[in-house]
Amino acid sequence: MPSLLELQRAVFHSLVEGDDRMATPDVVAAGLTPAARLGIYRDNFVGTLMNALQLCYPAIHRLVGAEFFAGAARIFIAANPPRIADLNLYGEGFAEFLASFPPAATLPYLPGVARLEWAVNRAFHAPDAEPLDLARLAAVAAADQGRIAFRPHPAVALLAAEHPVDAIWRAVLARDDAAMAAIDLDAGPVRFLVERCDTAVAVTSLAEPEWRFAAALFASRPLDAAIAAAPESDAASLLAGHLAAGRLIGFALADTGNGAGAAENCR
Amino acid sequence: MPPSSASIGAARGPLPAAAGIGLRFPHHEAILAARPRIAWLEVHTENYLGGTPLRILEAIRRDYPVAFHGVGLSLGSAEGLDLAHLERIARAVQRIAPALISEHLSWSIVGGCYLADLLPLPLTEEALDIVCGHVDRVQTFLKRHILVENPSSYLCWRHSTIPEWEFLAAVAARTGCGILCDVNNIYVSACNHGWDPRAYLAALPGPAIGEIHLAGHSVQEIEGGLRLRIDDHGSRVIPEVWALYAEALARFGPVPSLVEWDTNLPELQVLLDEAERATRLLDRTREAPADAEFA
Repeated sequence: MPSLLELQRAVFHSLVEGDDRMATPDVVAAGLTPAARLGIYRDNFVGTLMNALQLCYPAIHRLVGAEFFAGAARIFIAANPPRIADLNLYGEGFAEFLASFPPAATLPYLPGVARLEWAVNRAFHAPDAEPLDLARLAAVAAADQGRIAFRPHPAVALLAAEHPVDAIWRAVLARDDAAMAAIDLDAGPVRFLVERCDTAVAVTSLAEPEWRFAAALFASRPLDAAIAAAPESDAASLLAGHLAAGRLIGFALADTGNGAGAAENCR
Repeated sequence: MPPSSASIGAARGPLPAAAGIGLRFPHHEAILAARPRIAWLEVHTENYLGGTPLRILEAIRRDYPVAFHGVGLSLGSAEGLDLAHLERIARAVQRIAPALISEHLSWSIVGGCYLADLLPLPLTEEALDIVCGHVDRVQTFLKRHILVENPSSYLCWRHSTIPEWEFLAAVAARTGCGILCDVNNIYVSACNHGWDPRAYLAALPGPAIGEIHLAGHSVQEIEGGLRLRIDDHGSRVIPEVWALYAEALARFGPVPSLVEWDTNLPELQVLLDEAERATRLLDRTREAPADAEFA
């Protein structure tokens, strides 16, 4: 008689790896083979995760079609069974999977669209966080302001792509064939900000210097370094915009100008 | 219907003994816009652990009692509970203050992987000890009692020694938890394994029943014409399950009752109609509360 742990490992082999040999001896047959009974659970397992992937990646699903999506999802699921029970957060790494999935190679923008969909999904489900208390920021001595290293809201993400993946994403989800046909795949790189606004998720294009400044800021590099990253920008007004939009929720004062350490945490 | 002030047993939380429906994302807008007359709502806990869903639920919670129905705690995992997951649940519990919290008599996690299903346990003394230990731990952590639901299943393990109804009753007796009696699951499992659904009901401890679930299921033809009932929550409740529900009410009295619908989700009104049907049966139970046959 197997211990509970042994039995559960046997079921893992059956459901995730498709190998029933360890589990079948312990299943009551009763009119239906043990393999068929385990198969019902395997179908549920794969079906539930495929559904979760489709909810997270609706544009990919439409771009490649149901059959291709199911085939790719099956391989991804077998290699990446979920580590947590919150399936809203299942599907991380699907973009990287698609990037190395030979049958998808003819659609070079696919991983970029998947990265955008993952960022949108994360923004939707990320925890709430109170915006930075501006009074705390005002209390920082002028001499220390360059050392301020901000902490971004968990629902904020910055993305860059070689192809106009935001336009593709919008056109596909809107089923707008005319917009899709008008997209120039060689129009050059795109940069954008993904964030939650009330109960929706907004995707906003950013100019290249703006994006560089935000990237340094959201990576918690000291303010001086962020300003240096985009010297042509009006850093004060960009920072004011991020603060007003609640994209920054805390800060620390970096030890040195290199942003490596953080001496004290402030809200 | 308005929440009733009917007396509530020890296992029964502050939910009205009335009919509610399961809340799914596609119905958020309809609920918030129309505020339909429904006694309470239940959500899958794992769908509302943070972000926008939790915020929307907070808005809905202002107008309706809400119950949390978990699918991810894996009470039957041999390797122990995922405490990080339990903490996330506790934070959501703090924000929503659900009237009831329930989970399943099943397992989903092994080797740190979540197998995304309510998998059947071998019904052994070892599994009973593990489930009871985990229910204790959850109840201590959340500082309140939970309900544990009978699962539907498609296989039995050869080394099971305890009938499912006895196992469930033992978990309730040893941990003080309540029982979420899913009459559709009883019917599905009874048909799949050749059990007597009425005998299953009769074996459950009445005072522990804190909630009843109703749902639809499908029938799959497998190997050589054999039929297996699959608990997919994708259709109306069938007459046989309504009959079992009526019998459960006769045995347990009016209990908060929920219509679940998770796949092939129809318009909200269809769920409200099913709940209305449950309400009529609940009302009938209140008119003739003590059924001598089951008293």
